[in-house]
Amino acid sequence: MNNILETNNLCKTYLVNNRQYHILKNINLTVKEGEFISVMGPSGSGKSTLLYNISGMDKMTAGEVNFGGEKLSEMSENELSELRLNKMGFVFQQINLLKNLGIIDNIIISAYMAGHKNKDLIKDRALNLMKKTGIIDLADNEITQVSGGQLQRAAICRALINSPQILFGDEPTGALNSSAAEDVMQVFHDINQEGTTVLLVTHDVKIAAQSERILYMLDGNIEGEYIMDKYNYLEDDLKERESRLTKWLLNMGF
Amino acid sequence: MIYKILKKDFAKKKIINSAVFLFIMLSALLMAAGTNMLIELSNSLDYLFEEASAPHFVQYHSGSIDQNEIVQWSAENSLVEKQQIGEMINIEGANTYINSSESEKDTVMDMAFVKQNESFDFLLDLNNQKIELDKGEIAVPIYYMQKRNLSAGDQLIIKNERQELSFTIKNFVRDVQMNPSIISSKRFVVSESDFETLKNNFGELEYLISFQLNNIEQLNNFNNQYSSSNLPQKGPTIDIELLQLLNSLTDGLIAAVVILISILLNLIALLCLRFIIILTIEEDYKDIGVMKAVGIFQSDIKKIYLSKYIIIALTASLSGYLLSLLVNKVFSKNIMLYIGSAPKTFIQSILALISALLIALIVIGFSLIILRRLAKISAVEAMRMGSTVNTISNKSRFSLFKNNIIPTNIFLGIRDVLIRFKLYAILFFVFILSTFIIILPMNFLNTISSSEMVSYMGMVKSDIIMDLRQSDNIQERFKEIQNYLKNDPDVEKSNSYITSKFEIINADGYRENIYLETGDFSVFPIDYIAGSAPLLDNEIALSYLSAEEQSKNVGDTLELIIDEASRTMIVTGIYQDITNGGKTAKADIRPDYETAVWYNININVNKNIKDKVSEYENIFNEVKIYDIGDYFMQTFGTTIDQLRLLMFTAVIIALLVTVLITSLFLKTLIAKDRSQIAIKKSIGISEKDIKIEYLTKSLVILNTAIIIGTIISNTLGQKIVSTALSIIGAPRIEFVINPLEAYILSPLIMITAVTVTALLSIKSIKEFSISDINAE
Repeated sequence: MNNILETNNLCKTYLVNNRQYHILKNINLTVKEGEFISVMGPSGSGKSTLLYNISGMDKMTAGEVNFGGEKLSEMSENELSELRLNKMGFVFQQINLLKNLGIIDNIIISAYMAGHKNKDLIKDRALNLMKKTGIIDLADNEITQVSGGQLQRAAICRALINSPQILFGDEPTGALNSSAAEDVMQVFHDINQEGTTVLLVTHDVKIAAQSERILYMLDGNIEGEYIMDKYNYLEDDLKERESRLTKWLLNMGF
Repeated sequence: MIYKILKKDFAKKKIINSAVFLFIMLSALLMAAGTNMLIELSNSLDYLFEEASAPHFVQYHSGSIDQNEIVQWSAENSLVEKQQIGEMINIEGANTYINSSESEKDTVMDMAFVKQNESFDFLLDLNNQKIELDKGEIAVPIYYMQKRNLSAGDQLIIKNERQELSFTIKNFVRDVQMNPSIISSKRFVVSESDFETLKNNFGELEYLISFQLNNIEQLNNFNNQYSSSNLPQKGPTIDIELLQLLNSLTDGLIAAVVILISILLNLIALLCLRFIIILTIEEDYKDIGVMKAVGIFQSDIKKIYLSKYIIIALTASLSGYLLSLLVNKVFSKNIMLYIGSAPKTFIQSILALISALLIALIVIGFSLIILRRLAKISAVEAMRMGSTVNTISNKSRFSLFKNNIIPTNIFLGIRDVLIRFKLYAILFFVFILSTFIIILPMNFLNTISSSEMVSYMGMVKSDIIMDLRQSDNIQERFKEIQNYLKNDPDVEKSNSYITSKFEIINADGYRENIYLETGDFSVFPIDYIAGSAPLLDNEIALSYLSAEEQSKNVGDTLELIIDEASRTMIVTGIYQDITNGGKTAKADIRPDYETAVWYNININVNKNIKDKVSEYENIFNEVKIYDIGDYFMQTFGTTIDQLRLLMFTAVIIALLVTVLITSLFLKTLIAKDRSQIAIKKSIGISEKDIKIEYLTKSLVILNTAIIIGTIISNTLGQKIVSTALSIIGAPRIEFVINPLEAYILSPLIMITAVTVTALLSIKSIKEFSISDINAE
């Protein structure tokens, strides 16, 4: 399979009160098309920073990120926006929906902004995604009128509306209860099955155990990786995967 | 603790707090300056009238007089305290050279040469002292001092074919009668011996028969007695009330405008204040909840916020007042020059301070009203939600989902303005105000410089106007000109009008003077605000102010005295007139040549107007001939110049305010919308699209405001101008609008200013990143 994303000695350093903080230290990472990856690690290990830097939301200090053969460091702000809009999807722990727009508007805004001419097609796709994620009845609701899990599913719909090549999740289930989290993960598996690459940042072993590759980060370095079979939520025993992963994590010092 | 909270707040909202401070300060500054101008004006005017011992009633008369008759009549009249007959020599501008090799032939002013009066109506110098001159010295009106930039020692020469007289300018004349530039005669003072020389060699003599009364309340009564007498009356009369009005008109209007601008600025300050108070409460929502929850009294919470606005209001007003002390000289420059300064009482000197403090009081009161919303905050809700819950009911009506036409970024901008309109109110009001401030003077200026202005002057509209001066052989000359015009093939039509003094019987049954213009008013029609032209010899049209004074409407009757017999006239029309104090009448009856004041001939030609004017000027010298455009430029020239200056000042002030408020508002708005902007960026919406959205918001508001502001200027503004001008006789001004300036140029200037400001103000969108927001 082809590589969709590669980093080459990616570094990120913050300067606070004249002191340098090295958050990412020479990260070398390869993501293949269709992979389902989780990044784990303690708070402050650099997980989210890694995600922001490989998606072009944050500017790297040194090194390189390649996405689909293009170097992020050579792209302008506008080109980076276009890349995120058309080829990447994002789901955040804080959900980050636009509070002045209703549910359906939050979903279609990215597609409208991407300049797709056929608005009816967009609307159909949005309604399909909502049906798939089980929130079709909430289309006309305001975001203050629905639960956290429903909001996160709306956020996933938004992330998927432009059929991205890769979906990034920054603790996407962090603010949800366990049943809502399960629903959200099911959506991730479904889209992964359809070919979308998924890269999640998580604290949760139960979530990470559903990926096929788990990266463990500590102090800005990728300390190790753990490979499993692709998870099939209909057949596989999640408990067993969890215990294998836990053992490895304990070994890594998590 | 209050100090700490305040310090934090000042530091955090530096820019917008400074803006509020600035607007309150400017408002207080202008309020204090305007008040000071009004005090200075009335105070100095009283002082000048006293020092000059102003006449109460003056009859101008051209022709011979019997001095003894006047003296005797006065002695027998119990109302008269003092009486004086002055002589005035009118010399053509073409014969006068003021510190220049060019003569004053183009002047619209009548240049009158006089000697100092003996018992009252003194002509004063710049120190309000009686002017005393030696032979060869002259004192020149302030009007010319300013216009020709003269100083003592400059030369003035009067010459004709026979003789040349040279004078050295020793002083400048402050003249209660003819000071203001809107009065078209000016008195030059010379020594007694020079006066005699001038009298024998130049110009025509005119008499000023002046009176001071025992009791000024009896002025109307005296006026009637004089006009019923057989005393000389060939010329206009003026009285002290008219003098006071004319002397205070220009500066009074400027003071009123300054105070009006101060009020507008205060309004902007209040709107800014409302904006920051609401934002602050929104930001501190949770803290306020916590304070309430732990039992702090609401009045104490209010105190924390209020103390900030009290400090701002008081310091800003006081600074404004102190600054006004520095600029008072500039504002009162004209008053000081034309009217002079007078000692002030204690009350007068603190009145400006009180007016500035009034501004502070308004601000504090307004803050109190807005802070009432603190009471609505529930402790529990505030702590749980952490922010005000926006109850926006009409969101779904403006759904993106339903929008198929408008580009998304523009749609989002429009939508936000519609659903968060209250937030944008300040911007909206400021834009409306700015439009109003720009368009109103522009329209007024355009109106006053248009030929439509003729209709407000009670004059007929024609290509050329001839104005004959009163003289002994005036009737023959008048006939001569009429005959010439009759045979001139270039003349399309012409008609002559003679204005004489007639008497009417007023509402109290007394006789009263009125300037009645006689002639055929169907040849050159004028505009009537009610009714139509008088055609029959028992019909009369009244000016607006005459009709007001006599309480007459179209269809009413009025008794007119013609040849000592009373004739009942029907009022057929009411027209606007701002000349001669605005009290005139028109009728198609035989003129009274004995009391005729002005002879006018109106001409329409089918040739180049300017050529004809110079042709007539060569044939009929000593007749004033204007083409209509020149006439306006000369009559209103100074007013138009002042208005133009006012307009440019207004445009600059409006643009500055617009730029400042737009910038402040957008900076504050994007700081408030920071997280939403970061989210948009994170999902790939480009900075350009977000900028377009914010620019759309500003421009949607601006364009709506321009439309509303323009409508308000053209309706309410027109009404304000009409109301102001109804005082001088033109109650129904219709703006002559230059569509290019008003509807294209000025909106374009505003749009450019707002677009540039908006783009610069939202630059920091670049720095907003989702990683900062999620980290918070």
